Amino acid sequence: MNIDSNLNKLLKIVEKPARYIGGEFNSVKKNLEKVKTRFGFAFPDTYEIGMSFLGLQILYGILNREDDIFCERIFAPALDMEAEMRAIELPLFTLESKTPIKDLDIVGFTLQYEMSYTNILNMLDLGGIPLTRQERGEDYPVIVAGGPCAFNPEPLADIFDIFVIGDGEELIVTLCKKHAEWKASGKNKEELYKELCHLEGIYIPGFYEPEYNSDGTIRELKKLYKEAPDSIKKAIISNVDEAFFPENAIVPFIEVIHDRSVVETFRGCTRGCRFCQAGMIYRPVRERSKETIETLAKKMLENSGHEEISLLSLSTSDYSQFEELATTLMKMCKEHNVSLSLPSLRLDSFSFKVLQEIQGYKKSGLTFAPEAGSQRLRNVVNKNITEENIYSSIEQALELGWSNLKLYFMVGLPTETMADLDGIAEIAKNVIDLNYKIKGRQGGRFNVTISVSSFVPKAHTPFQWHGQDTANEFRKKHMHLKDKLKSVRGVSFTYHRTDTTILEAVFARGDRRVTKPLIEAFKLGCSFDGWSENFNNGLWLKAFETTGIDANFYSSRERTYDEILPWDHIDSGVTKEFLIKENEKAKAETLTDDCRLGCVDCGVNSRVKCEMEGSHV
Amino acid sequence: MYRYIVKFSKFGYIKYISHLDLMRLFKRSFKRMGIKLEYSQGFNPHPKMGLAQPLSLGYESSGEILEFETVDKINEENIIETFNLAMPEGIKIIEFKEIKAEGKSLAAITEFAEYRIKLPYRGSLPQDIKALDFMNQAEIISQKLNKKKELIDLNIKSMIKELTVNNNGEEVIIFAKLDAGSLSNLSPELLIKAIGNYYKIEYDRSEVEITRESITFTKNLQF
Repeated sequence: MNIDSNLNKLLKIVEKPARYIGGEFNSVKKNLEKVKTRFGFAFPDTYEIGMSFLGLQILYGILNREDDIFCERIFAPALDMEAEMRAIELPLFTLESKTPIKDLDIVGFTLQYEMSYTNILNMLDLGGIPLTRQERGEDYPVIVAGGPCAFNPEPLADIFDIFVIGDGEELIVTLCKKHAEWKASGKNKEELYKELCHLEGIYIPGFYEPEYNSDGTIRELKKLYKEAPDSIKKAIISNVDEAFFPENAIVPFIEVIHDRSVVETFRGCTRGCRFCQAGMIYRPVRERSKETIETLAKKMLENSGHEEISLLSLSTSDYSQFEELATTLMKMCKEHNVSLSLPSLRLDSFSFKVLQEIQGYKKSGLTFAPEAGSQRLRNVVNKNITEENIYSSIEQALELGWSNLKLYFMVGLPTETMADLDGIAEIAKNVIDLNYKIKGRQGGRFNVTISVSSFVPKAHTPFQWHGQDTANEFRKKHMHLKDKLKSVRGVSFTYHRTDTTILEAVFARGDRRVTKPLIEAFKLGCSFDGWSENFNNGLWLKAFETTGIDANFYSSRERTYDEILPWDHIDSGVTKEFLIKENEKAKAETLTDDCRLGCVDCGVNSRVKCEMEGSHV
Repeated sequence: MYRYIVKFSKFGYIKYISHLDLMRLFKRSFKRMGIKLEYSQGFNPHPKMGLAQPLSLGYESSGEILEFETVDKINEENIIETFNLAMPEGIKIIEFKEIKAEGKSLAAITEFAEYRIKLPYRGSLPQDIKALDFMNQAEIISQKLNKKKELIDLNIKSMIKELTVNNNGEEVIIFAKLDAGSLSNLSPELLIKAIGNYYKIEYDRSEVEITRESITFTKNLQF
């Protein structure tokens, strides 16, 4: 089928046709005859979301730097485009060369969010590729996945041939090179996997098979290939400062979610919040030097023409030379007439000085994240901030003229009671009173949003054993909060829908048996489940029912420490002993210090040196 | 303050980016080239840059005209090559020149635009269809949406300055010079509808290809 002429017709019918055209500035074209490996980077959501993802730009850059490898991009078509494509049987294609994805060597998906899993199935299906590795056999491209959700790969173990665990940027190049050698050898796929499985960070699900106890828990993960490793260590880039960074990032034609240049300042986080998966799996903290960051920022702006630049990390202010860096960048941005955006700042006096300067009279909203409404519960989750911290930052914000505040909390945290929720309402009330105190009763426009998300226990965190609240419990808590907040004037309350929260928990901690309802849900028509207007809980319930899988077994069941967890063979570098110790400390409501104040024994330093260990002693 | 124009073509998939996307693209390309644009004064400053006439999404063009004002004088040595290095695939700069700083904007003096339209059809159509018959109608009626989104009839005859129509057996090839600009403006879409109705052509809009070939101005500016 001629993709070009058919596509040309569809593009005149669909919304935002530029999502599908490629050819942006800094995108890459290669002579297809001259490359050995054709790689498709697949993002399981629309173009606008995928193009805002830095990981795409990193892998695209590092792969296309190799003459023998051509990395192209694949996105999920929006619903209107999908309908048109299916009507004329136009297969899913790459943006760069409009090649059907079936004709590539490797298709690699990034797993950022559990609710994008049906989009993965849909994209394979649109590409004419069978969904499971068993059905694909020796034909079709090798289907790979990476990203944070790959740390519990089991719900997708029958879909993917290979998982890349941990920092993927160097490993993916090795994988492509090994693939090229294998292709030239004419051997079967199993031979490729046998060679790859010895690489740190590579997990071949086909070499393992779980067996279950009668109560549904895992009895054993049997190995089907005895040379395969018992445990799969995540890949770690030990020197982030010298790691590749895309100076020539693709500049989209259309507005994307984050339409700006981005520099990653560091990986990992030392704070140790017990609910946070990113804080565990990206350990240890590895920084780029201030000089490297400044050079990258300058080059990226020169090469893109962007109007805005932003810094990326898990906690902007934790960068060891943050004040110096922010000062230099502010100066540079002013000279280049570019705006600077600093997400997830800790709101101390220096941050306010910076925000005051970069936002001036155009003040955006400010977000505070106390996470929990009482000191007790903040101690449980190891969020080391006090009520005084919160009020003094808010006081500063009000005095400097911010009038749009958002306070972010989680509901459903371990040990939570209604009294903890009352604390949220109490904080909201105190913030409103603070505003009256500072600006008087006629204080003008002031808006506080209380934003509540529902806690999803994640693999590789101290709360991985925790039974999630049921849908009913969540609803009760939401209603309780709504009721409490009703009497506080000037507060708006938003919360996350409960049904997706439960599904997230199922896939975040599921085993290989949840693949069935996933495939069934896709067959019933579920896709873009992360988009609330498109989410259909009825279809999901039906999918679990017809496949005979009990979602509660995965979401609300409390696990014991001796249970074999589906992701136990994936080694994040953080030991299970540490996670147990942290969970026990949570129950005892005691804090664990930031590891900049001294090693907390999480175990990752047995793999790689922790630069920040004890740096603030 | 210095004022320049560039003439460029827009071919291939890039025809699917909108006018606003194209403006952002130029703004970023100027930044990459290190050219500082003049900005308007006020609360929300805008770069002084504009097309003679926006090009509809989906149209190709061999002669778009962009004017812009810069803070510093541009070094004209190899300027076209420099421009093209800062442009994505599908946009090609053909001409560059400095124009007088004072005077009306190009948008204000745009008079006509010429289009070439390829209209593949189904079924049979007489080989010798002639534009003359079509143009000899007392009134040429087409439909457009008014501001209330209602379809209204409109006589477009006076807005068609030149027209040729040919049938090559598979496609009807139309060449048309139409009013363009702020005083009188005719979209090729209305002409296509009127021609389709008149000759009873069976076609699918998503197969029609439209290329703008040139824009002409009241003050005899030639590009």
